[in-house]
Parts: sequence; structure tokens; C-alpha cells
Amino acid sequence: MKPAVFDYSAPESIAEALGLLAEHGSGAKVLAGGQSLVPMLNFRLARPAHLIDINGVDSLSYISANGALRIGSMTRLTALGESGDVAGAHPIIPAAVAQIGHRAIRNRGTIGGSLAHNDPAAELPAVLMALDAEVTARSADGERVVGMQDLIEDRLFDTTLDDTELLTEIRIPAAAASSSFGFQEFARRHGDFALAGVAAVITTDGSTITHAALGAFGGTHATRLPTAEAALVGAETGDAAFAAAGAGAAADFPSTSDVHGTAEYRSHLINVLTVRALNDAAGHTGGGNG
Amino acid sequence: MAENMSVVLNVNGSGRSVSVEPRKTLADAIREDLGLTGTHLGCEHGVCGACTILLDGEVVRSCLMLAVQADGAEITTIEGIADGDALHPMQSAFSEYHGLQCGFCTPGMILAGIDVVSRNPDPSPQEIREEMGGNICRCTGYQKIVESVQAAAAAMSAEGGSA
Amino acid sequence: MTTTQENRWIGVSAPRREDAPLIRGRGRYIADIEPAGTVHMAILRSPYAHARINGIDTAAAEAMDGVHCVLTAADLEGIGDFPTIWRLPGQKECTTPAFAPGKARYVGEPVAAVVADSRYLAEDALDLLDVDYEILDHVVDVEAALADGAPVINEDMGDNTIIEYTFPGINALGVAGDVEGAFEAADEIVSGRFKVGRYSGVALETRGHVAEWDDLRQTLTLHSGSQVASLLRTELAAALGIPETSVRILTPNIGGAFGNQWDRYPEDILVSLASMKLGRPVKWIEDRREALQATVHGREQLQEWQLAASTDGKVLGLKGRVLSDQGAHLHSVGIGPAWVTGAAAVNQYKIANYHCDVVGVATNKTPNSTFRGFGGPEAMFGIERMMDKTARRLGIDPAELRRRNMIQADEFPYFSPGGAVYDSGNYPAALEKALEAVEYDKVREEQQSLRDQGVYRGIGIASYIHVSGFGPSAILGILDYYTGGYEGSTVKIDPHGRATLYTGMIPMGQGTETTLAQVAADHLEIDIANVRVVWGDTDQTPYTGFGSAGSRSNVAAVAVIKAIEEIKAKAVRIGAGLLEADPDDVAYADGRISVKGAEEMRSLTLADVAQQAYWAHKLPEGDQPTLEATYVYDPANFTTACGTHVAVVDVDVDTGKIDWVKYVVVDDAGTIINPLLVEGQIHGALSNGLGGAMLEEFVYDEESGQLLSSTLMDYLVPSFTDLPDFEIHHLVTPSPHTEGGFKGMGEAGCFPAAGALANAVTDALSHLGVEADQTPVTPSRLWSLIDQAGG
Repeated sequence: MKPAVFDYSAPESIAEALGLLAEHGSGAKVLAGGQSLVPMLNFRLARPAHLIDINGVDSLSYISANGALRIGSMTRLTALGESGDVAGAHPIIPAAVAQIGHRAIRNRGTIGGSLAHNDPAAELPAVLMALDAEVTARSADGERVVGMQDLIEDRLFDTTLDDTELLTEIRIPAAAASSSFGFQEFARRHGDFALAGVAAVITTDGSTITHAALGAFGGTHATRLPTAEAALVGAETGDAAFAAAGAGAAADFPSTSDVHGTAEYRSHLINVLTVRALNDAAGHTGGGNG
Repeated sequence: MAENMSVVLNVNGSGRSVSVEPRKTLADAIREDLGLTGTHLGCEHGVCGACTILLDGEVVRSCLMLAVQADGAEITTIEGIADGDALHPMQSAFSEYHGLQCGFCTPGMILAGIDVVSRNPDPSPQEIREEMGGNICRCTGYQKIVESVQAAAAAMSAEGGSA
Repeated sequence: MTTTQENRWIGVSAPRREDAPLIRGRGRYIADIEPAGTVHMAILRSPYAHARINGIDTAAAEAMDGVHCVLTAADLEGIGDFPTIWRLPGQKECTTPAFAPGKARYVGEPVAAVVADSRYLAEDALDLLDVDYEILDHVVDVEAALADGAPVINEDMGDNTIIEYTFPGINALGVAGDVEGAFEAADEIVSGRFKVGRYSGVALETRGHVAEWDDLRQTLTLHSGSQVASLLRTELAAALGIPETSVRILTPNIGGAFGNQWDRYPEDILVSLASMKLGRPVKWIEDRREALQATVHGREQLQEWQLAASTDGKVLGLKGRVLSDQGAHLHSVGIGPAWVTGAAAVNQYKIANYHCDVVGVATNKTPNSTFRGFGGPEAMFGIERMMDKTARRLGIDPAELRRRNMIQADEFPYFSPGGAVYDSGNYPAALEKALEAVEYDKVREEQQSLRDQGVYRGIGIASYIHVSGFGPSAILGILDYYTGGYEGSTVKIDPHGRATLYTGMIPMGQGTETTLAQVAADHLEIDIANVRVVWGDTDQTPYTGFGSAGSRSNVAAVAVIKAIEEIKAKAVRIGAGLLEADPDDVAYADGRISVKGAEEMRSLTLADVAQQAYWAHKLPEGDQPTLEATYVYDPANFTTACGTHVAVVDVDVDTGKIDWVKYVVVDDAGTIINPLLVEGQIHGALSNGLGGAMLEEFVYDEESGQLLSSTLMDYLVPSFTDLPDFEIHHLVTPSPHTEGGFKGMGEAGCFPAAGALANAVTDALSHLGVEADQTPVTPSRLWSLIDQAGG
């Protein structure tokens, strides 16, 4: 379990990194935190001819809370989880980050790396989908802004980024004043990738739900849960609406089987977790479908 | 074969220059090029924690970094935590409370324990279990590791320092 | 039989002498050993479950810079296989070859090996090997393997049945019980079908070797983590066709073994052969993917039991069939673990009428062989689930049902119809103590009120026996187990009165070095600091019949005691001469040799006597110079550790998640040498047992025959938050027939663990009738059962 041979570059600026991407294209792989890529290198499941290590690009590591939250793609998960600005703007983010791997993983792993790697069981793509985040993708030819849905589409371990593009920033719009969140995942062990998980953000007008955004992970790919959202918007918060949303989530969820659980089980889990997340969001526990 | 690169690794307070292929993991460089074999390899895919080191004061998996990425960084390995003959309180506690059996996970466990206590000087058993969950032990069933870390935390507080 | 002096070290939680280097990162494991000129081996393994190998093109790999040699089956001319040393009557012949013999039979079977300047380069060269595989139909399910038309894995066997072995249930009078009669007389017949999952030790340190062929001396030194260096030496020499006297096995620190390192493996031959070919040190370190594919697996069985009971809760008879999924071929111990399952399944209960058929079945999977517990945990799972099913059927509390059937304290030695003689114990006392510790009645009451609140709490009892200290060599002979059951010890007193103890035991984390030093210090009545323990070098240490295992220190300890008895007798003889006294008037006490009644005046230290023994100027007639003794102890009988565990859990019926409430252990391992280390062994064995009960499983894909659990993200070992705090209590029933009263206990913790957990889960869901009969009890499996039950 030793990596195959590759050439290695460690650019110190975004421009330099983009130049290398333009030069090496599909033969290159960007090394961010490395917590997913290096295992793949060690297993020789990834065999890039050229590795572009962007850990030396200091300008990609920042958190800016001026209006929309802007997060540099090389921001480490530990920094993301401990940022007062992030917690203030979107407390669901630290709640989700706490579930990602373990301390040693979070010390190296980055937000941009997690999105670009797009493990279908990873928390952040689904959370950022629920927050209607956008990412900035830059190449030597210019820059574009891509919504999370468009970044992920139905892909796994891949995104719609071009080979020559670098994910540089994540932008998250400010939360509505009366929004609240729930985050639930089910993993077989603490810190493992989840069998299923839900990030729920709802906005209420008194007791009526005016906006609902639910992102799910643990299926074949990260996804929003439109049927569940539709069941919530316009409904009163409470067991009936949440149960309907849970059923909708199960219908929307792209379930899958593996050694950890069957597709049927995961679909059931997403239902249960959706109800629990909505109860958390509504600020009360109990009820649910159990 | 890609050309070797020259890298300076500052390990346990002293800088050493090594020449490595870019693909060489930091763990392998520490073990093979620096001869510090206390850093162990248990899985080489970031699950077991046996290769845990401190990089600029933070716990990381040395199997998930390339040696070339650590150029100029400050690295602490298990060999660097005792003060000469005087053991670090975490080391003493592991022995006293039987926090180790085969010893293979122990270097990573001790460094992870030091990290936990550096952030939380008085951790509860549950906090220790959650914070150290990324380190696997096959021998002890963990209970005595938890006791060891608690005892070390108390000793470190008494000393007035924290790692 | 018992010792006369006051124990100063036995029974004391002496600090481990093993720890000092380990906590400083100065341990020396195989991977840390790198003699000058070492080159590195990597192994190409079959990516297919079943495939004929029509050819291997090695040219590109051989031509690569930095490659020293490529080995394939073509290089095995004159090289033998490793034997299966447990060869039960009717068992088809089966060996472990160094390379897949013309066809690969499981994913991970070695096909070729490359030696290069570094492991990185060796793996590069593996990429250049081109194997012409012809893919064959495979079978990875034990019942499918027995079906007509199943692919035959070992053609020379004719089919996939390797052996059918019957336990006829012979009782103490030498006659078989009347099983059919018992079932005819039964008020209730309870059936159970259990799948015991496939998992293994998965030590944190993977296997590895450094082989050094010395052309000058024509010797092979193998640095190896084998638990049983003596057997490895014997079998390796035979396989390589070199004199055993030319082979030396050196054992450094071992990063966990858990029985898996008891076996001989293809790589033992390959790394040695490569070193002999190249005349330089060759190192092979298994990587984690290899470890999961190619280190032996354990446990997997499909059990079917039927239990005959009377309405008043007496177990009248038990009959069963155990299908043991052996994987592609028998490994070192054959179907040994499954045999033990058949031998142990009657557990602590007086079951007069017993019959069990054990069938060893080949499948296209990694060989299933030695793993901590060795068939015992599988047996305990089956019988303890059966006891709970029976209790529920009869409407009797599960604790009460056990109480009514347990062998009583005055019934030892007990001749079990499984074939073992239980030496001692107090099963009812252990059960009562466990119930008391867990506050059984209170937990039962709470269970009801919690259920009304939607909290599903379950209590699971599991009792166990662990027949350990594997045993008198003559019995091993009767069982066609081709090794001995003895352990040797040499003790040498130096001229300054310090002791060196040589043992064939190999510390793998259990603290053997410390515990044997404790035993020696007490019996020599000297300070433990003056005892050195030498292990891990076949040029110095005694041949061991059975090798190191978690439950062998008890046998080794007796060999130490016996050798020391000889030394003390000789010291008394020499001392008597020096003191000008009759030897009958001289005694050894407190590390001194003194004239009885005149200890103050006429007394010598052990050093005084030792010095004389080395000068040898005035030795008693018939005594040889120096002061040393060797004793090889062949145990008179097995020892039987025993106890009861109680698990209390909450089950989340919505997710199938199991949360720990409490776990209580009462165990009886006879006299305890070091309580702290015993606790550590119980914790560790429990985590092995509960890992397999809840998390750990080698899963094979039926479609492709692939091992799906080939990373530690798919094969889940328990971490900190997956295990409870264990509450441990001891009973001490010393073994009546071993010096010191010790019983083996390093494995016992894993015996009842899965049964206790599954019984607790089943109890929690009794309102649904869910039965946890398959391990591991994963959330997905459990929810599926809940769902089917309409929960």
C-alpha cells in the first residue's frame, strides 16, 4: 500500500496552481487536505501523473462573515468547526463538522477538498446544498460561480468541475431571521461515514413553515429532498407534517446497499432521521414516528 | 521514477534534511529516513491512528501526508515527548494504569491523549472516548486507556502544565 | 502441591516490565528491523475467488530497475507445503502451499512475489506482472457449497465436504446417551438456527518477517511474529528442505496476535526462499488490505440445534449440526475450532444425552483457522441462545433455567458428553454473583416501566466454560493433533544468585514476561528485579509443544515452578555440604539455605551457594557443576475457566441501534497471578467478542466472490465509543491438578460475549418476538428483523 509514482508541484499562489492545472489537465490531481486522496493513492486506486499540492496557497484559507459567509476552499475542518463567525451565521455547520471523522482528520481535511471529492456519504455537500451555497470555480480562463446542486448533480466521487478548474471559495447566503436547523446522521461508529443523514433548515412564520431545505447524504449521491420540502412548506410544524416529510424523504432518497446496510434500511433511516432532524429544528424532541 | 526532493523535517526539536521521492509518505520518511520507528503503521488509510504525530502542535495521521508536505514543519513523535529520562505524565499513566498491552497503538494513543488534555485539562470518560475515537486498540477494550488519560490529565494539572 | 512460602508477587498487580520501551516508542516490532542490505518483498494475490492460472509473464517485472527477483509457483521445485497438524479421522488431506497450486481458490491467495530495493518499487513491479487467469465458477456460501453441482474447490477431495465428524455423546461410564429417547420423552423441543459471523483478530500490527540467510554459516534466521516459534522452525525447515538445526526464529515485540499468528503461512516460506536465493536479508510486511484478505479468518459457522426439555425446565437432550465454513483449504489447525465447538456446546449444563455432527466445508474464501476463543465462543453463542429460547418457551426466567441445569460444585471432575473432563468450578455461585452485581431483579422491574415509556431494555445472561491449558500430550494424540501439549522452562541461577528464566512463551501483549517473573520470584523467594526472562529465540529457549496462546501461561508457569523445585533441592544439597549439616536438616526459605532451627547462625544466601556451584570445588556426589534446571511440563489435564456475563442494553427500534447500559463479568480463572493484567485480558477478550457480536464481519459478495470488507472502513473494529465500561468480579476456584492452581484465562472474555449481547437484544424485543440469531447483530440486520416482526 504505497503510492505509485507521480510528479509533484507545490504552488504558492492561485495563479500558479491554475497554470499547473491548465498544463496538466486530466493527468493532474489537486491535493487539498489529503484525507481521502492519500488513502486512494496508497491503495493505488488513484494514480495521477501529477499531483498539485495547494496546501501552500495561503490565500485559499479564510473565513469572511461580511454579509454572505465566504469560506476559502483550503479552510481546515477544525477551523471551520471552531469558527465563531460560522457558528453565528450557520450553526448547522459546526454541528455537521463535529460528525466528520476524528480530530486528526479534521485538522488536515478541508471544506473544498470535501466538496471536490464528493463522497456520497460525506456531510458537507448535503449541508451546503440545504444552505443554498455556491462555490467559485476558477481556471486560467476565468471564474464562474456554481450552485451546489449544479456542482454535485447526481455524481459521486466526482463533480461538474472541469479538469482545469480549481474550487476556490464557498459562499453561503445569510440565513433567514427565523430559520432553525436540525442535523441527524446514523453511522455504525462515531466518526464513520454515515449510512444516512439529513441536514434540515426550516423557516417558520409563527407555526407555519414558510421555507424548507433538506439535504441528504449516505445514498448514491448527495441530494436535496424536494418531496419532503414540498410536504413541509405551508404546513404547521408538528408530527403530521414531519411524518409526511419523512415519507417524502424516503421517496426522494437515492438509497443503496453495501456491507453496512441494505437500501431498504437506509430508506427507512432517512425517514426516521428526517423526522428527528425536523423535531430538532422545531426546537422540541419527542413525537416522531417511533 | 520522479526525482527525489530535499526536505527539512524538524522532528522533536532538531532539523534533519532528507532526500525523498515525492510519493513517500511522511510516516515512511519518519520511520525509514529518520529511523524513528516509534511511529507505527497499522492501516495506511487513515483509520487506525497508530501513525499519529503532532504537526505544528496538532494531531495528524502521518500515513495521510507526504513527506514533502512537511518541509519546514515542526513534528513531534512519541520519541520526543519525554524530558530526557523523565517520562511525560501520559507515558507514566499508560504504564501505571495498564493502558497498553501489545504496545503497537500506544505511541499514537499517547500523542492523542496529550492532544485531548491540551484542549480539555479535565476530560470526562465520555469526552475521552469521543475525542480519542480515531485511535484503534485491539488489546485493551479501551477502558484502561480512558483511565490512563484521566490519570495523566490529573497529573498534568497538578504539574501546572498541559502538554 | 501448594507452595509453602508466603506469596509476595503472585496475586500482586506488579507493573509490567514490558512497558518501558513501548511507552517511549522504543519497542522493536518486525517492521522496525532492517539489517544492512535488506531488500523488500511484495506479493501478488489473486483478485478472483476461483481462477485457473494458465501462465504468468514475469519478464517486464524482472527487467525493472531495482528488482532482484520474481518468484512464482515455478520456483517451488523441492519446496514443501505446510501441513495441517490436526488430522481427525476421516479428514481429507489438505495442506497450505506457498503459492496457489495451479489455480487460485480465494481472493488474496498468493500467486507471485517480487523482491526489490524498496516496498515502493516492489509494488511498482507487481503492476508489471501479467497473469493469464481463467475465471471459474465460485461458491462463497456454505450451504451452496454442499449443494449438488457446486463448483468443487479442491478437485482431489471430490467435493467440498472436507470432513464429517460425529460427537456421539459418550458419558462418564463410557456409553453414548440416548438422544432419541430424550427427544421422545421431551415436553418441549426447541429449535435454533444460528449464523456465527466470519471475523478475526485483525491485530493492529500486520504480519511480517525479515529472513536472513547466512551463506557463511548456512543458517536461516527468521525474525517473525509467530506465536509458536518452535513449530514454525520445525515446519519451515521441512518445507525448505534444510536441517532444522540451521533455522533460528527470533521474535521481537508482537503488535497483537489473537491466535492468528499461531498458524504457518505461505509468506513464511516465500520470504525465506527469497533470502536463500539472493543471499541477503529479505523483508515482507503485510499491508492492511493483505491482512484482511490473507491472514486467517475465524469463527464462521452455521449451527442447527434442537433441545429437548421437560416442562419443569430440565434439559433432557441436545443435538446439533455445525457446518464450519473453512474457506478454500484447511489451514494449520484443520477444523480444530469447529471440533471444539462440538466438544464444548453442552457448556455448564448437565445434559446427559448429546449428539453433534460437525462438517468442515470448503468455500472460495480465506481459510478459517486459529482465532482467540478457538470454537468456544461459537459454542457458547449457540447453547446460550438455546437456553434463552428454551426459557422463553417454558415461561421460566432465563437465570432460573440455567440454575436448574448447572453442574454443581461437588460434581467435579465432571465428564462432559462433549468429551472433556471439567476440572473444577462453581457455576451456580458465579451466576448468582453476576445476578447480584447487575441487580437482576431491579433491572427486570425497571425493564417493564421503561418499556411503557418506549425504551426497550434487554438483559442477556450467558454462562461459559473455557477448556484451556490444552493439554496432556497423550490426549492430543488421541485427537490426532500432531503436536505436544507441554511447555518447557529452563532456570539458571548465576554465580551472584540472580535468576534467568528461559521460556518458549512469547509475550504478545498479555504480560507473560512479567507474570512468569512473578512466579519465579515467589518460588525462588528472591526479589523480582533479580529475575530475567529470556524469550523469543529458538537458539536459547525451550521447545514448546503448543506454543504461545492467551491461555498458556498457566502451563508455562508450572514448568517454571517445577524447574525451580529442582534448583532449590540442589541448592539445599550444596548448602548442606557447606554448612556441614545433613541435607534433611537444611531448608530453602526466603532465598536462603539454612539449617532448620538455626536460621540466624547457620545460613547461606542463594548467591553463596550459587558461587560454590560454579566454582564446583566441593559439590555433593552426583551433582553437576552450576545451578540450573530444565523442566518440561506436560499437563495432567485441561483446566476449565468459567463464569457468567450479563449484558444490559437498550435497543432503538427505529434504527436498530444498540446502546450499552451495563456489562457485568464474573469469572473464575483459578489462582490469579497478576490481577491488573487479568483484568486487561478480560477487557481485551471481551472487546474481541463484542466486536464480532456487533461490528466485525468479513462479508463476501455472492455474485463476484469478492471480499467486500477489505479496508478498515468496511471491516469495522470497535472503537472507544462502541464498548461499555466493564464491571468485573472474580471467583477463585484453584485448579486442583496444576501446581499453583492457575487456569488459562487470556481468551475467556470473548466466550460468552456474543451470547450475552444477542440474548439482551432478543430480550429487549421480546414483545415483537425478534430473535438475534446471527452475528454480528448489525443495525441493518436488527431493523430488518424488527420490520418483519411488524415493529
